[in-house]
Amino acid sequence: MTGLGYRREMSDWDLSAVMADFFEVAPENWIHRDRDPLHRLISSGRAVHLHGVSLNLGGSSTLEPAFLQSLRELMTDLNTTFYSDHLAASGDAHQLYDLFPIPFTQAEVLRVSDRIKQVQDALGQRVSVENTTWYTNVGDMTEADFLSCVVERADCGILLDLNNIAVNHKNHGGHDLASFVAHIDLSRVSYLHVAGHEFDDRFGLYIDTHSQPVEPETAAMARHLHQAHGLPILLEWDNDVPTLDTLNRELACLKPFMTT
Amino acid sequence: MSEAFHDYVRGRSDDIPPGYAEPGMRAYRHLVYLGASQMVEAHFPAVRQELGEDAWRTLIEDFVRQSQWTSHFYGDLKDEFLAYLARQSA
Repeated sequence: MTGLGYRREMSDWDLSAVMADFFEVAPENWIHRDRDPLHRLISSGRAVHLHGVSLNLGGSSTLEPAFLQSLRELMTDLNTTFYSDHLAASGDAHQLYDLFPIPFTQAEVLRVSDRIKQVQDALGQRVSVENTTWYTNVGDMTEADFLSCVVERADCGILLDLNNIAVNHKNHGGHDLASFVAHIDLSRVSYLHVAGHEFDDRFGLYIDTHSQPVEPETAAMARHLHQAHGLPILLEWDNDVPTLDTLNRELACLKPFMTT
Repeated sequence: MSEAFHDYVRGRSDDIPPGYAEPGMRAYRHLVYLGASQMVEAHFPAVRQELGEDAWRTLIEDFVRQSQWTSHFYGDLKDEFLAYLARQSA
C-alpha cells in the first residue's frame, strides 16, 4: 500500500494515472470547500485519509467542540476513520500556522496525552499523532521516549514520519532511524510518512520542506517496515510539486522490489 | 514551551528563551513570517509590489508581532490581515 498527499495543484491531473493506493488531505483545507475532487478519488476505489495541522495538541488553546464536530462530519463524508495531527503545537493559546516543539518532559506527557484523550472522546474514536521535525527544543527525555510515553498514556496511534526522524538525527544527533524505530511500539503505527528535506545555510539546519525526493535510507526503512509489518507508506510532496511522472517514479521506489 | 518562546517567534522579543538554541529559534521565526507573508501575498499581490521589499517585510513583521489569530483555517489570515489594517488606521 502506497499513498500520496493530495495537493490542490493536482486538481487538473488525471489522477487515475497516479500510482497511489490511497490519499491524504489536511481537513482544514476541505471543511469549508467543495469536496468533489475528493469524492472522485474515493469513487476510483482509493481511500482519502485526514492529516490535520491545526489541532494544537501542544498548545494551550481550547479544543473547540465546533471544530471537532466538523472533523467528525468530514470523516463521515469521506468514509474514513483515519485522522491524525502532529505531536506539536501550532501556537500557544492562539494559532501561528506552523508546528512548534513540545518540551520533552514528563509534565508535558501528562498534559498533552490528556488533550489527545479529550479529542478521542469527542470524536468517539482513536486518533494518531505524528512525530515531528523540531529545530530546537528543551526537556530531559529523548524524543522517542517522549513519543512512546504520550501514546501509551493517551492510548492513541502513531503516524510514524521516517523523514522527520532522519531530519532530527541530522540536526541534533540522538537516535538514528533504526534505533528510533526500535524504540517504537509498531503495533500502534497507523501508517508511515516519507518525504524529502533540504539544508538551509541561513540556520545551519536541515529543514523539513517536503520539496525533494526521499532519501534512499528512508525509502529502504519504509520498504522494510512495509514488508515486515504491513505498514502502508505515504509520500508527502507539498512544495515545488513535480510532474506526475516524477511522483510516480518516487512512488515506485517505495514499492517492494520485485524478486521474480 | 514558554511564553518567551512565542514572544521570540512573533518578534516581540529578541531574547532566546533559556535552553533553546538560537539558530532553531531564528528558523521558527522565519517560518512563521513566511507563512503570514505567503498567505497575505496570495490575496493581495499588488500590496507587496507597491510597497517594495523593505516596507513589505516591516508590515508583515508587525502583523505577526500583534497576532492573536484563532481560526483553524490558515486561509482566514486574509481576514485577520484586513482587521489588522483597520486597527492600524483607526
